[in-house]
Amino acid sequence: MIKNKILIANRGEIAIRIIRSAHKAGLIAVVFQSDRESDALYLQFADEVIMAEDANDDKPIFLNPDKIVALALEHQVDLLHPGYGFLSENPDFAALCIEKGINFVGPSPALIRDMGLKTVAKSMAIEAGLPLVPGSAGPVATAQDAMDFAKKVGFPVILKASAGGGGRGMRIVEKPETLERLFKSAYDEALAAFGNGDIFVEKYLQNPKHLEFQILGDKYGNVIHLGERECSLQRKHQKLIEEAPSASVTEEKRKEMGELAVRFAKKIGYYSAGTIEYIMDEDGSYYFMEMNTRIQVEHPVTEMITGVDLVDWQLKIAQGDQLTLTQEDISINGWAIECRVNTEDPQNRFSPQTGFIDTIQFPKDPAVRIESGVVSGSAVTPYFDSMIAKIIVHGSDREQAIKNTLEALEDFSLIGLKTTVPFCKAVLQHPDFINADYTTRWIDQVYNPEMLENEDDEMIGALAATIMYASEYLQLQGDIPAYANDALNVWVLNKRINY
Amino acid sequence: MGTSYKYRRDASRLFIAVRDNEKRFKIYLPKESSPVINGNELDIDFVEQEDFHYAFEWKGKHFQCELVSRDQNKAIVKVNGVEYKYSLESIFSYVRRGMIAGVVDKEIDNSIKAPMPGKIVDLFLGEGDLVNVGEPILTLEAMKMQNEISAECNGVIRKIRVVKGQSVMKDELLVEIQSIDV
Repeated sequence: MIKNKILIANRGEIAIRIIRSAHKAGLIAVVFQSDRESDALYLQFADEVIMAEDANDDKPIFLNPDKIVALALEHQVDLLHPGYGFLSENPDFAALCIEKGINFVGPSPALIRDMGLKTVAKSMAIEAGLPLVPGSAGPVATAQDAMDFAKKVGFPVILKASAGGGGRGMRIVEKPETLERLFKSAYDEALAAFGNGDIFVEKYLQNPKHLEFQILGDKYGNVIHLGERECSLQRKHQKLIEEAPSASVTEEKRKEMGELAVRFAKKIGYYSAGTIEYIMDEDGSYYFMEMNTRIQVEHPVTEMITGVDLVDWQLKIAQGDQLTLTQEDISINGWAIECRVNTEDPQNRFSPQTGFIDTIQFPKDPAVRIESGVVSGSAVTPYFDSMIAKIIVHGSDREQAIKNTLEALEDFSLIGLKTTVPFCKAVLQHPDFINADYTTRWIDQVYNPEMLENEDDEMIGALAATIMYASEYLQLQGDIPAYANDALNVWVLNKRINY
Repeated sequence: MGTSYKYRRDASRLFIAVRDNEKRFKIYLPKESSPVINGNELDIDFVEQEDFHYAFEWKGKHFQCELVSRDQNKAIVKVNGVEYKYSLESIFSYVRRGMIAGVVDKEIDNSIKAPMPGKIVDLFLGEGDLVNVGEPILTLEAMKMQNEISAECNGVIRKIRVVKGQSVMKDELLVEIQSIDV
């Protein structure tokens, strides 16, 4: 039998993750070698590597649909998995693959397009009966109309320019007295920026939680959901820690929100893995936000509590298999937490760090799932995402999962670059996280880099600094032989022998 | 001399690390035993050393330290992925700096005065030595009795005002000590 070839048009940890499923499915795994990252770890896992020769292209291969498809055809690829990010939610790319006879692992291009257009997705959600954040049906003509609406749904509200983007023409109105003034300034700004002063009004959720339901559907109309993930811990819409299930979702609500997600997916004819995002207000009311039509970074937490391999299913569904799992087959076992290891400096506004990873050590506990795109010696370039790995940990319940995750993070070390791991540790020990009382605004409102510090580290740091300083100082004093500050090393050597 | 004292004579092994939040760590690095930090001998294991990298074990925890930058006596050390800034001083520069800033005036009051008139028959320590609380500094003979005069604090001998054989009056200043206990 001739094996089918799958091209993974992605890099890093997710490429390795998909290769694993591809091998289970008996496929030949093919990846691109980008000149921007020519000795990346994922290349070692693939059966075949295509040279992208993208050094002189203005964007890396992963963002170049025509070149990807041309090379895929040249190498007789049967399937293409886009991973996440890059072109994974680009409907034209999916359509191009299909047009050229490459089986695109994901939903139909038409659905990728619909879900990518927020207004289209929302109107489809309304048709399926999903709740949306209360908003004016269309633009409001006057400040008084906006006031009438705001009084109906309650303050605060948000004014949004209908032609808007990038925060322009957007105002949060906390109280009635300021509405007229803010309406006028939003209108003027929108008119100046977009030549269109139309303003919508929406209820503004001050402290929302980000919840998302994983769904799986096949090409024959079967759809199930695999429970929710909570991804409220985010900064500028970049998630940093995810957990499944969510402490804010009761069994009853899970059923309700899950059924709505399934109903929506069925109604629009969705297949492959997908995610329905909701935001939840402090009072527990929830609203549809959007649908992601790809595998997500945080999919492992769902896999860990359900035992279902989502990427395996993506491949099966793409090849026309029927979803043999039913909703009754899905049960939630314990709790899972994912910590993203980003080369970002949590002491300095999460600024990205580039350079070399001298040494990286992951927890050795086999129960801890590690998804990593790097090893010791790997380079972190400015060309790609700063997420280098994910650490996913299970516990019998939430408390145990937090404890296990902290232990796993204690066993992580990286020399060379700063990462978000100290941040994750601080969060996991913070009462707001422990009490599951955190929202998407937590980092902006509560987080402070001093939370990363602790007295033991501070003291040992002082010791390390002193040893380094002392070794020079004592040499300068002249009473120490110049070779390797022997006098200090006596303690060192003794300790080493005893260790 | 008893070996139970935390500090040995060699004051050049005593350093002060001052963090950017003003927290002070007085760190004594003995030749052959664990470091003394803020007066406590700590059972810290030194498990790894490479250029600019140290790893320690303490209280069952691992501490990975990396020197991030170094400028004169200022250092930034990354401990388990988090950076801390310190300025480092030998005890001598620390005292000198403190004298200039005028903050040690009251600390210096740990000087030793003669409790009674008598004669200095023995001096155990020299200027610049580190001294432990309770450690004898000199012997004062008075009325045919030999009295050991001990330090009342941990500190550095700044100045010895007397010599062996000298007769002293009551309350005469004998030794100036810079306390390191504060």
